[in-house]
Amino acid sequence: MTAGNEPPLRAPHVVGPDDEAVLAARLAARDPAALRDVIMRHAGALHRTAFRMTGDGHEAEDIVQEACLRLWDQAPAIAARHPVGSRAADTLRLGGWLRRVVTNLAIDRLRRARRLSDGAVPDREDDAPRADALIEADERDGLARRLVLGLPERQRAAIVLTYYEDLSNAEAAEAMKMNIKAFESLLHRARAALRQAFAAQGGTP
Amino acid sequence: MSVNDKDQGAPIRPGSPLARALGDYTPPPLPPGFAERVLAAAESRPAPLPGLRRPARGGRGWRMGRRIAIGVASIGALATAAAATGLLGRLDLPLPSAGTVWASLSGTAVAAPAPTPSVPRPAPVAPAAPATVAIAGPIDTPEELAEAFRRVDAVRKGRRDERSQLIDQRIASEIERRRAAGLPVPTAEQEARLRQRIEEARTRREQFLDERVKMRREELERRVESGEALTRETILRPLREDSGTPEPRERIERLRRMPPEERRALIEEWRQRRAGRLGGTAPGSAPAPATPAQTDLPPTGTVGAEPAVPPQE
Repeated sequence: MTAGNEPPLRAPHVVGPDDEAVLAARLAARDPAALRDVIMRHAGALHRTAFRMTGDGHEAEDIVQEACLRLWDQAPAIAARHPVGSRAADTLRLGGWLRRVVTNLAIDRLRRARRLSDGAVPDREDDAPRADALIEADERDGLARRLVLGLPERQRAAIVLTYYEDLSNAEAAEAMKMNIKAFESLLHRARAALRQAFAAQGGTP
Repeated sequence: MSVNDKDQGAPIRPGSPLARALGDYTPPPLPPGFAERVLAAAESRPAPLPGLRRPARGGRGWRMGRRIAIGVASIGALATAAAATGLLGRLDLPLPSAGTVWASLSGTAVAAPAPTPSVPRPAPVAPAAPATVAIAGPIDTPEELAEAFRRVDAVRKGRRDERSQLIDQRIASEIERRRAAGLPVPTAEQEARLRQRIEEARTRREQFLDERVKMRREELERRVESGEALTRETILRPLREDSGTPEPRERIERLRRMPPEERRALIEEWRQRRAGRLGGTAPGSAPAPATPAQTDLPPTGTVGAEPAVPPQE
């Protein structure tokens, strides 16, 4: 389900036991190359998550950029808590940290948009005339967009993380800062809502 | 949860119609310059704020305990200060001593001694004043004569003090007048010299008068011892009679009745006589003007001595 399309951001990397801690130490030392390394490793997946949460490409870019900058700011504290060579360094996962930030930012923005628009999240589908191919692709993607964006924010996040990003329930629960039981309940309700919405669109789940 | 609900919440099977529909939701690619944009934003980002101050060491319990300890210590200090300054006694709050408290705890309390009735302090005895002797009728005993001398001395002392005040007042007013008129004002040294000269003149005069008074009193004492009865006029008048000068009122009246030429000549004669007298008393000093209040203080402080006032005995 990954959709990384930017070649530089899909550079393969091997994560060693202390690799994340070393990266955090370099970030703490204000090494721009380390931030570029982080972007290359995680930006694609983060952008996919943000886009499927918000349904807006530009909003998704903003969320990913904000998450990366927060990591840049928080790097000294993170590196201090996970010094290189320590046992804590083995538990550091910058990808998980970024995923949690992106998920929370997306939920916050959706809630803020709903509060400001005084209604459901607006459908940002572009009605302007397009080329035929784009119109067809848009019509084809329209159902999936409506299904996902029709879910409440947290249920949407649960579907995006587990279905599209293939995360385990435990990883998704950590990204949403929930315990596993609560997350499984949330995911169950999200799937049920998705099926009901799909059936309402005339589909056969 | 029904069986139908469980199916609704079941995982989405790959290849199912729902999975195919969801698979069409593809995100757009990241723009090419995304990484550079983030890096530029990171470098232009202001430095993060410093972390929050570390909370005080210890938990809530210790903070509470510390506040309580500070409060108890403060109250104790205030109570100690109040007891030390006697404030509790003024407020009529009984403050038992440590010995009393210990005795009450250990059961060794002794009966408090009966309060002694407060005896008012005797008023301080005023120093015994010399017994005053009543002068009845003519003065014919040494005691009455001594009492008369004491009264005369008291009057003389009062006049002496009055003259000193008058001198101070005249000097001060003259200095003030000079200052207001823009004339040179004597310095502190000059003023001190002037006062010293006045004091010396006064001392000489006092010595001269004291000798005369002493001789006069010895004569009066002899007369009383010989059995003569003295009257008030006998004691007060003779000196004035000796001087041969009439009362000021009579003198002024006589001057007023004189022809102007004679009066002017008499005044001139009086001035010369006075100048000669002052010159004899303070050789070298300039003749003093008629009225001391009109006297300009010269820079050197040469001013006439205290106006010669005949003794008033």
